[in-house]
Amino acid sequence: MPLSTQSQADDEQYVLVASLDNARNLSNLLKAITFKDHAIFSATPNGLKVTVEDSKCLQANAFIQAEIFQEFTIREDSVGFQVNLTVLLDCLNIFGGSAAPGVSTALRMCYRGYGYPLTLFLEEGGVVTVCKINTQEPEEPVDFDFCSTNVTNKVILQSESLKEAFSELDMTSEVLQITMSPSPPYFRLSTFGNSGNAHYDYPKDSDMMELFRCDKTQTNRYKMSLLKPSTKALALSCKVSVRTDSRGFLSLQYLIRNDDGQICFVEYFCCPDEEVEEEWLQSVE
Amino acid sequence: MKFRGKIIDVACLNHFTRVVTTISKLTKMCVLRLTPDNLFFVLSGKVANGGVGMWCELSQANFFDEYQMEGVSSEDNEICLEVTPENLSRALKTVQSAKAVKVKLTKKHCACLTIAAELPTMSSISRVVTHDVPVDVIPRRLWHEFKEPSMPDFDVSIYLPPLKTMKNIVDRMKNLSNFLVMEANLNGEMNLKIETDLVSVTTHFKDLGNPPWGDDASQDGGPSQSRDPEAMVQARVDIRKLQQFLVGQQVNPSKAMCNIVHERVVHLILLHEDVSLQYFIPAVA
Amino acid sequence: MDCVVTGGNVKVLAKAIHSLSRIGDELYVEPQEDGLALRSVNSSRSAYACFLFAPLFFSRYTLPSGHTFRCKIAIKSVQAVFRSVATLEKTVEKCHIELDEQKNRLTFTLHCKHGLMKTHNLSFQDSESLQAVFDKDSYANVFRSHPRVLVDTVVHFPPSLEEVTVSVSDDRMWVRNHVEEEADRAKAMLTELCLASDEFDHFAVQAHNSVTFCLKELRGLLVFAESTGLPISMYFDEPGSPVVLSVTDSVLEGNFVLATLSDDPNHRKSNTRRACTPPPPPPPDDFMNDDMDCYLIAMDTSVAPGPSATGPPTPPSADSTCSKQSAAANHRTRLHSEEEEDETAESGRPPNKKFCSLFFGSVHPSSQMTTQPVTSQEVLASDSEEDGQ
Repeated sequence: MPLSTQSQADDEQYVLVASLDNARNLSNLLKAITFKDHAIFSATPNGLKVTVEDSKCLQANAFIQAEIFQEFTIREDSVGFQVNLTVLLDCLNIFGGSAAPGVSTALRMCYRGYGYPLTLFLEEGGVVTVCKINTQEPEEPVDFDFCSTNVTNKVILQSESLKEAFSELDMTSEVLQITMSPSPPYFRLSTFGNSGNAHYDYPKDSDMMELFRCDKTQTNRYKMSLLKPSTKALALSCKVSVRTDSRGFLSLQYLIRNDDGQICFVEYFCCPDEEVEEEWLQSVE
Repeated sequence: MKFRGKIIDVACLNHFTRVVTTISKLTKMCVLRLTPDNLFFVLSGKVANGGVGMWCELSQANFFDEYQMEGVSSEDNEICLEVTPENLSRALKTVQSAKAVKVKLTKKHCACLTIAAELPTMSSISRVVTHDVPVDVIPRRLWHEFKEPSMPDFDVSIYLPPLKTMKNIVDRMKNLSNFLVMEANLNGEMNLKIETDLVSVTTHFKDLGNPPWGDDASQDGGPSQSRDPEAMVQARVDIRKLQQFLVGQQVNPSKAMCNIVHERVVHLILLHEDVSLQYFIPAVA
Repeated sequence: MDCVVTGGNVKVLAKAIHSLSRIGDELYVEPQEDGLALRSVNSSRSAYACFLFAPLFFSRYTLPSGHTFRCKIAIKSVQAVFRSVATLEKTVEKCHIELDEQKNRLTFTLHCKHGLMKTHNLSFQDSESLQAVFDKDSYANVFRSHPRVLVDTVVHFPPSLEEVTVSVSDDRMWVRNHVEEEADRAKAMLTELCLASDEFDHFAVQAHNSVTFCLKELRGLLVFAESTGLPISMYFDEPGSPVVLSVTDSVLEGNFVLATLSDDPNHRKSNTRRACTPPPPPPPDDFMNDDMDCYLIAMDTSVAPGPSATGPPTPPSADSTCSKQSAAANHRTRLHSEEEEDETAESGRPPNKKFCSLFFGSVHPSSQMTTQPVTSQEVLASDSEEDGQ
C-alpha cells in the first residue's frame, strides 16, 4: 500500500497527519534529544514539539515547524501523546536511514487520538513498512520558566569550536563549570577530574564567536551527566547559543540545518548544580 | 590423502576470501569437504533440534589455477576436514597482495591446512608468509553426516529483495524484538513482521517473483499447485540467526531466494555463478 | 621546567605519549640537561620505554633551577590533553608545558586556532627515577628498517596475540606467533613470516638466536614510528635478555626495552618446540577403523623457505635456543628504582608469569644517571618458577 494511495476517508479518522518526503528530517532532530525513552509529543497548527526530560533537571525540546512537513493536518487545537522514543527512532530508520543522495524514506505519520497507536507508513524504493507504536497519555513537561528578559549572559558560537571541547571533556569530572564574563576569561568551560582540572577559554573576539553579550560575571556548575546528551544536538548543529539567566539556569539552543537546508531548533534547559556556591568559593584560588 | 591447490588470480583470491569470510560469520566450526571438482563448506544442520544448517558449494576450477587431491581411497575420493573458517579467513585476508597463494594439507604439529604466500616487498626478494590452520580429519564412517541436505518440501519459494535493504530492516527489527515472522506467498509478496508490547512493525515487499522449480519441487507439483497465490505461509525465526546471515554475507549473489516450509523452516539460497550458499533457519513456535 | 613545543612537534609529542600508554599506566616525567625524558614501565615490569626529547625539539626549554626534579602522572590524564591526535596538527599551534612545584602541578596549555586556549592542570606525584640501563650496542644482533616493514609484518597477527617469536639467520628473519600452552597448540593457528635481509636497511647477525617478546608494546612503538616516518632499530641477544627497539633522529630518541622469554627449559619447550622437537607421533586414532592408510600425509616435500616448512625443521636458531641458559645471569639490563615501597607493592600482584621480570634494583638518587648497574641491591626476580605448576 503505497503512501499515495491512502484514501481521503482514511485520513479523516486521524486527528493528526504529518508527511515528510525525507524521514531523516524528523529522525535527526529526534536523535538530538534521545537520552530517555519517553518523549512527549505536542502538536499545534504551528508544528510539532517533542520533549524529553531527565529527573526534572534537564529538558530537551525539538521543534519541527509545520512548514517543514509536506503535509501537516491537525483537527484539534492541540494534540498530545507520549511514545517510546528509541522505538520510534528504530521505526523511522527502518530502511537504514541512509544519508546517500537520491535515497530517502518517505514518511506519513498518523494519530487517531487517545488510546490509539501512532501509526507510521514508511516507504523507500517501493517497499512499505507500517509501524504501530503504542502511545500513552502525555505527562506535563516541567516549566523551566526560562525567560529571555531574565537572561544575564549570552554567547553564540559556531558549533564546530564547541564540538572539539565537548569531545575532549574530562568525564571523570562530576560537573561542567561555565564561566561567562565581560572580562577575561570571557567564556570558559572547566572540568575538575581525578587527575586535575582543565579550562577551555574562548576569547570574545574569536572568529568562532558570533555574538558576545555578557554583562556580569557568572560562574555556574552543571552536572556533567546531564549535559552529556546535549553533545548529540551539538554534533548536528551549526550554531549554538549559550544563555544563562539570573538564577543560573542554562539554555542551550542549537540551530540545525536539515538535509533540505531548512532550519530547525533544538533546545536544552539545565538546572545549575545546587552546591555550586560553597564549592566554587573553595575552588577559587 | 593429499591436497594441494594454488590460486594466482587476484580476483579469484579475493572472491574465495569473501566466501570463506562469509562462512566464518555464520559458524565457528564447519566441515570442509574436498572432492576432485568441488569444495564444500558444511554445517550439518540439526535444524530439527533448533540449530541452523549451512551448505556452501564451490567449483574448484573457478578459483584454483592448480588443484590436486587424492582422497582417502579411489572409491572414496574425498577429504573431509573440520576447520575453523575464521582462521582460514584471517589467513587469506593477510595474503591479498600475494602473487600466488598455495593451500595445502600438511602434517605439522597437527594436521593443518597450510596457506603459504609470497608477498611483494620494497626489496627485490619477496616475503614468505605461512599460516598453519589446524584441522581435524573426519573419519570415513562419519561422512554421511555431511551430505548435501535435501531440498525441503517447501510451501512457497520466493526471490529475496536486495539483501542490503533486508539487512537494514532486520537490523532495526532486531533492536525491537527477538523474533521475526517471515511470510510469503506465490504472488511474489513477502512480509517481515515483528510484534511486541510497544510496537508492531510490518515490512511489505511485492513483485519479488517466485522462482520456477522443476517438477520435483513441491511448488509446481502436488498439492501446493492448488495453493491460493495470495495465501501466506509463514515461519517465525530467531531474528539473530537471520541477521547473522544478512550481516555476514559477502557473496554479492546474482540470485537470492528463500523457501519457506510453513512453520517449520526458512531455507535461504544465494547463488553467485560458481558459488551456492544455502542456509537453514528452523522455525520456532 | 618551562618549555614550548610548536608546529608538527606537538603531534610527535602526542604520539610519543600515546605509544608510552601502551606500556604502563603512569608517565614518568624528568626534565634533564640533555632534554625532557618521558618514561613508562608496565605493571609486571617486563616492559619499559623512554623517549628523550632534546632541548632543540622545543622552541623553548628551561630546566627547573637548582635541583633535579621528577614526577609521575597518570598517563591517561596526559593522553587526555592530546585526545584529538588526528586533528592536533590542524588545531594546535603551540603547546606550553610548565611545572609549578609549589602547587604540585604540571600545566599543559594548548594554544589553538580561533584563539581557543586549553589549559590542563595535572596533579602529579614525586617519583623515583625510572631508568633502564642497557647497552644495546653490545648486542649480537642489530637490525634497522623502515617502520612499514614491521607494520606489514605484525598485521599478519591477530590483535589478541600476546607474543611473537623472532628468529634470525645470517640473511633471514622469521617472525611467528608464540603459543604458550602445549594444550592450545593443537588448536592454535600458527603464522610465520620469513623476511629477507634485503628488506632491512641494516641486518647484522652474530648469534642465531630466537627471542620471544610481547607484541603489544611493539605495536605501540610502531604507531609512533609510522607517524614520524622514523626507521626502527631492533637489538637483541640471547633469550632472556631484553630486546631493545629504538627510534632516533636529531632531536629525539625513543627506546623500548622488552623482556624476552627466558630459556628456562620448562618454557623453552613450548617456545621452541616447533624448531627443536620432532613432530609428535600420530595420535592413537580411531581412524584406523576406517579405510584410511594413515590419517595424514604431508603433501609437500619440496624445499620450502621457512624453518617450519618440512618435517622437523632445522632453523639456524635451533642450537642456541635449545641450550640452557641461566636466566638471571644474562640480563644486561637493569632498571633502577628508588622506590622500595613501590617495589613491594608490585611484587604483591602476580607478575607477568612468563617473563623474567626486567631488572629491578634500588639505587641512590645520585647514581641514577649512570649506566653502571648498582650490584648490591639488585633484585632480579626470575618469575619463571612461579608458574612451574
